[in-house]
Amino acid sequence: MKHGKISSRVLSLTAIAVIGAGLAACGGGASSSTASGANSATTAKGPIKIWYSNNEFEVKWGKDMVASWNAAHPDQQVDAQEIPAGKSSEEVIGAAITAGNAPCLVFNTAPVAVPQFQKQGGLVPLDSFPDGAQYIKDRTGDLANQYKSSDGKTYQLPWKSNPVVLFYNKDVFAKAGLDPEKPKLATQSEFLDTARTLVKSGAVANAVWPSPTSDFYQPWFDFYPFYAANSGGTTLLKDGKSTFDSDQGKQVATMFQTLYKENLASKEAYKGDSFADGKAGMSLAGPWAVAAYKGKVNWGTVPVPGTQAQTDGSTFSDAKNIAMYSSCKNQGTAWEVMKFATSKEQDGKLLSGTGQMPMRKDLATTYADYFNQNPAYKTFADEAARTVEVPNVSNSVQIWQTFRDAWSKSVIFGNQSIDDAFKGASDKINQLAAQK
Amino acid sequence: MSIFNKTPLRNDDDARRPGAGAHEGATSEAPTPVAPASRKGSSVAKRKNLGVGSFVLLALGAFVFLFPFYYMFIGSLQTSPDTSVAGAFPSPANITGENYSNINNSIDLLKGLVNSGIFTGGVIFFTVVFGLLVGYALAQMQFRGKGVVFGMMLLVQMIPFQLLLIPLYVMIVRDYGLADTYLGMILPFAINSTAVFVFRQYFMQLPSTLFEAARIDGASELRILWQIAIPLVRPAIVTAILLTFIGPWNEFLWPFLVTKDQAIQPLAVSLANYISNIAATASNPFGAILAGACVLAAPAVALFIFFQRQFISTNIGSSVKG
Amino acid sequence: MSLRSAGGPATGDTAGRTVDQRQAPRKRKNFLGRQPLGLLFSAPYVIFVLAVLAYPLGYAVYISFHQFFFTAPGVQVDRPFVGLDNYISVLSDPEVQRSFANIGVFLIINVPLTVGLSLVLANALNRVTRLKTFFRVSYYVPYVTASVAVVGVWLFLFQQDGLVNSILGPLAPNPSWLTNSWLAMPTVALYVTWKQLGFFILLYLAALQNIPDELYESASVDGGNKWVQFWNITVPGVRSASVLVTLLATITGANLFTEPYLLTGGGGPDGASTSPVFLMYQKGILQGNPDVAAALGVVLVIGVLLIALIQKRLVGGKED
Repeated sequence: MKHGKISSRVLSLTAIAVIGAGLAACGGGASSSTASGANSATTAKGPIKIWYSNNEFEVKWGKDMVASWNAAHPDQQVDAQEIPAGKSSEEVIGAAITAGNAPCLVFNTAPVAVPQFQKQGGLVPLDSFPDGAQYIKDRTGDLANQYKSSDGKTYQLPWKSNPVVLFYNKDVFAKAGLDPEKPKLATQSEFLDTARTLVKSGAVANAVWPSPTSDFYQPWFDFYPFYAANSGGTTLLKDGKSTFDSDQGKQVATMFQTLYKENLASKEAYKGDSFADGKAGMSLAGPWAVAAYKGKVNWGTVPVPGTQAQTDGSTFSDAKNIAMYSSCKNQGTAWEVMKFATSKEQDGKLLSGTGQMPMRKDLATTYADYFNQNPAYKTFADEAARTVEVPNVSNSVQIWQTFRDAWSKSVIFGNQSIDDAFKGASDKINQLAAQK
Repeated sequence: MSIFNKTPLRNDDDARRPGAGAHEGATSEAPTPVAPASRKGSSVAKRKNLGVGSFVLLALGAFVFLFPFYYMFIGSLQTSPDTSVAGAFPSPANITGENYSNINNSIDLLKGLVNSGIFTGGVIFFTVVFGLLVGYALAQMQFRGKGVVFGMMLLVQMIPFQLLLIPLYVMIVRDYGLADTYLGMILPFAINSTAVFVFRQYFMQLPSTLFEAARIDGASELRILWQIAIPLVRPAIVTAILLTFIGPWNEFLWPFLVTKDQAIQPLAVSLANYISNIAATASNPFGAILAGACVLAAPAVALFIFFQRQFISTNIGSSVKG
Repeated sequence: MSLRSAGGPATGDTAGRTVDQRQAPRKRKNFLGRQPLGLLFSAPYVIFVLAVLAYPLGYAVYISFHQFFFTAPGVQVDRPFVGLDNYISVLSDPEVQRSFANIGVFLIINVPLTVGLSLVLANALNRVTRLKTFFRVSYYVPYVTASVAVVGVWLFLFQQDGLVNSILGPLAPNPSWLTNSWLAMPTVALYVTWKQLGFFILLYLAALQNIPDELYESASVDGGNKWVQFWNITVPGVRSASVLVTLLATITGANLFTEPYLLTGGGGPDGASTSPVFLMYQKGILQGNPDVAAALGVVLVIGVLLIALIQKRLVGGKED
């Protein structure tokens, strides 16, 4: 008898839930309409809120930038805060858009997330400011085209890049009997040989240690830089079709598969920074890492090697951009702050404070003094002109996740052949990219 | 006895259902007679001669259960991680408090503790007030719809919190504008069916004649509850508080989503952030993570040890008799 | 307890409550039961459940039947009804199938282990007299500690060159525990068993108090040894608790999230430890497809409900 009672209760409660669904449906449809006020919003001035990254050097730059803006604009104060940290800031921003409490500007908007934010109606197209398109073009040049969305508008201001290069540990190289000043890392086969020597000599436990976890963004720090170098800067998708199921893509995959097979790279996630802790002899990273390695590693850098030795190889940009969020009331002020923060002066401070590369054309000449004093950063400035971005297409996060899953399966864990995995991923990605 | 209850217990911190956290057990459909308290004492006494094999087994088990905590503490004091067998013993050369001072420099531990306290305290307050009311009603009052209320409690336990997460988030943050408030953190946890089960169970053990008599004397239900019933079930309140405490204290995902402002983030959130972001740049990332873990674990463990007498089987047990 | 009058449908509750508030003191008292005030006492709880659980749940069900994504407030988009499309894409997704299979592996290891160990340990704890408090506390400590905290030390113990492998020496598995496709899920199951066991011991300890001593006494007179007593008296004596523990462990397993998220770095290696709830998070929040995630959630809830009903019928039905 008890059965009957409980089951009927559960059923009746399910009924309540279904009724709730009906109510929810009504509630959901009745959201208020706005959007007519867009024009006035783009000129409105007043206090705004911004978020910046929680990287300690960027925080310092951000605080200084905001202080100098606030000193000059007492009626348009900027309230700045570190982005609430999570595993990825995209989650936090996406949730804030949905809730309508995103700040005006986020100085840490990942290009990969822009299509999704845009679809959510969370972003303000920068073309809606009279000087918007022109400002971006003047500052960044042709590289800015990579950041246009599929509807032809620009929802992000290309801000700074972290061109990925190959860091190597000079002490470890010396220990392994390799020349620390002229490492043999010009091509991918040299890279593989060097990796073998490093591990076999016992100088270091892992030649490289890219994170083997299945996060969608991990390919940017293993596959993608090598693929960019290999293919003269081809993006993962071109004209809505995937490009990686090719000899150039598979060649990179095979190289990494060899690294994992020969235990030159660990399949286990490392909690800290494997390169800084001396657990890996080489690492793929951008200039942000220089500050992190300071005093820990005697490092050198080379461009990411391609199949052939080259002097103009491309790499992944690892850019973070500034975007304006539609919940912003005083968009006029927000746009002015955006320009202020990306002025020549502020860009210079960002460069010297964080080592990251402002996305300006003629970077090396504009800040020639800085690069003369800090020759270590020259490689990055040079690379910054040839960076490849993640393609700006819908479902981009899902596309990268699909690629990553195929990569895990075939390259890292060897449960499927690279040919099959890449073919399958390529088909699925073409499908995803075609969806609206 | 019944079944559907329940609460998964683990994951105190992740995202589980609001109101989880406390976990207890079940409840019975039929009124259970009050268990004579004396029974337990006598059974222990009679069976103690059987204790030697059990003792060895328990000692072995206790080692398995406590060792990770010991290792957590040792690891949090290491200058550099030592994963060899010798590393499990403290070595004076490899001991430092640096991991802790790193944490203290990165997060305001005191503020985190206060925020956790407010969050947890608020949840406990609502849980106890609502739980006492509905628990009493279910146990000692006859009214229409009682069965539905009871069935509702059972169903509540089966829904994964992740399913509700986004709708709930939209509702709390967008519709009610409760982002970055303590209330926004507390609301989804304010009902806790586990506590209701505990209270109901205790109230059911009180003889109903007691209440009938009071009613005949003309006492109002609220007065009966306040002056007669509650004083009789004090242990249940302590049990419910302890069980409820675990949930919000360790909860991570919900307060993380709702609070963007560091000034009101509970300790579990700021420490999880520390672990995921800052630890990697510390000189000994594992040490930093383990130090963070110790800071997070210590208050819960201390409180629990302090009150462990209240957290004993008979209290909770009353709810599992079938 | 259920003296409620025959057959009141579910909606009787809500209807009854409003009526109660308006005209309870008058004639309808009998219709509402002898203490209609009970409705008022239950009201805060019920309203909360409706607002905080039923409404979002209903919303989630609605989402699962539509093409849905989250938008900023005020943005108008089409949300066409798509019937079972989301369900089809969930059920045909090999990742999802894999995650359900993983949960199967998890349950096969975790449930018997939990039931067995917690009963044996509770039984021992019930008998031991020395250091009882110490033992009890040691078993509960993992349960009261945040997963975020203890996952750290498990990673430290079970990593490639961690303490466990140093002790095992040449017997250490290769690849190591958490990166081994065959061992990742069992390691997660082991972790969860360890973490939760204290609570289940608590449940069994309570149930053990209800076995009358006379049963043990007469058994020892009949000459049964401890093992026989355990099987013939203890195990049947705590059967209702066993049903409960089985169910709770099952629900726990079905809702597995923190462990694949933190312990195996996102369901790795190669999806060997993904769980349905983790995929809900990945699809719904990371990839912005809450419609598919909601469908997955509904499938999961229905699955748990079915398993619970079956378990109850199989194990729990013949009591009393």
